[in-house]
Amino acid sequence: MRTTRPGSAHPLDELCAEVDRLWTTLIAAPPLHGWGSTPRAAFPAVNVRETDDAVLVEAEIPGLAAADVSVSVADDTLVLEGERRTDGPRPAGEGAGDEVVWHRRERGSGRFERRIPLAVAVAADRVEARLVDGVLTVRCPKAPEAQPRRVPVSGG
Amino acid sequence: MVTMNGSVPDRARDADTAAALTYQPHVDLRVEQGDVVVVADVPGATPGSIDVAFADGVLSLHAQVPARDLPGRVVRQEYGIGDFRRQFRLGEGFDATGITAVYALGVLTVRVPKLAAVRPRKVPVQGG
Repeated sequence: MRTTRPGSAHPLDELCAEVDRLWTTLIAAPPLHGWGSTPRAAFPAVNVRETDDAVLVEAEIPGLAAADVSVSVADDTLVLEGERRTDGPRPAGEGAGDEVVWHRRERGSGRFERRIPLAVAVAADRVEARLVDGVLTVRCPKAPEAQPRRVPVSGG
Repeated sequence: MVTMNGSVPDRARDADTAAALTYQPHVDLRVEQGDVVVVADVPGATPGSIDVAFADGVLSLHAQVPARDLPGRVVRQEYGIGDFRRQFRLGEGFDATGITAVYALGVLTVRVPKLAAVRPRKVPVQGG
């Protein structure tokens, strides 16, 4: 297709104008899905089980000591909070001095907060949490009214 | 130059093993003055259940993770539990006898030192 005509601008000028127009459109458009708020897998991942008298939540939080994680229950929602630091020297060029070259950085770091709805009323004052070898186990006893009750049947 | 297999960054199932529940741990891998340092998330293991081996230039990590079945019915299952395995091809020039491994808080840190012969040496220059 012939794109140049007598008297028209140089094709490269037209291209520049077209790119400018596209940029303007792009900037004016609403953000693409996920742009600016990259969806990430929630941390930490949890497994949840329910027994007759408790809800059990397990989470893998390697690298955290008991003092680094906070476990709380409010409005029958379990909240896990903390900060994970992936130890190691800073990359070269950040004042570490020594030569360090990173080849893989898959272990996430930073602050996290995970809210897990428990679906049943729990006795917040009796929640227990244990952290062993990076595995956090939280036992949330159900509130008495949320536990199944065996109703005795009386004969007539 | 360090090259590694296991390009799946997620904790995907390891297709190489017949055992059904084997996972690739997330790792950080850095080279510090020639030494390779691998930091792997292997929650639920114990120091005695971890094998670290180095042969033919390949560093192999295997952490056995015992089952920890919670009672009750499953409400939410976001991860599976099983052994962790991963290998890294580091190549030659490492001191296999000097490898150290530390396990704490569910994190395994392995340091593979460079052979002294390969390490750059600063040679002092004497004046005449």
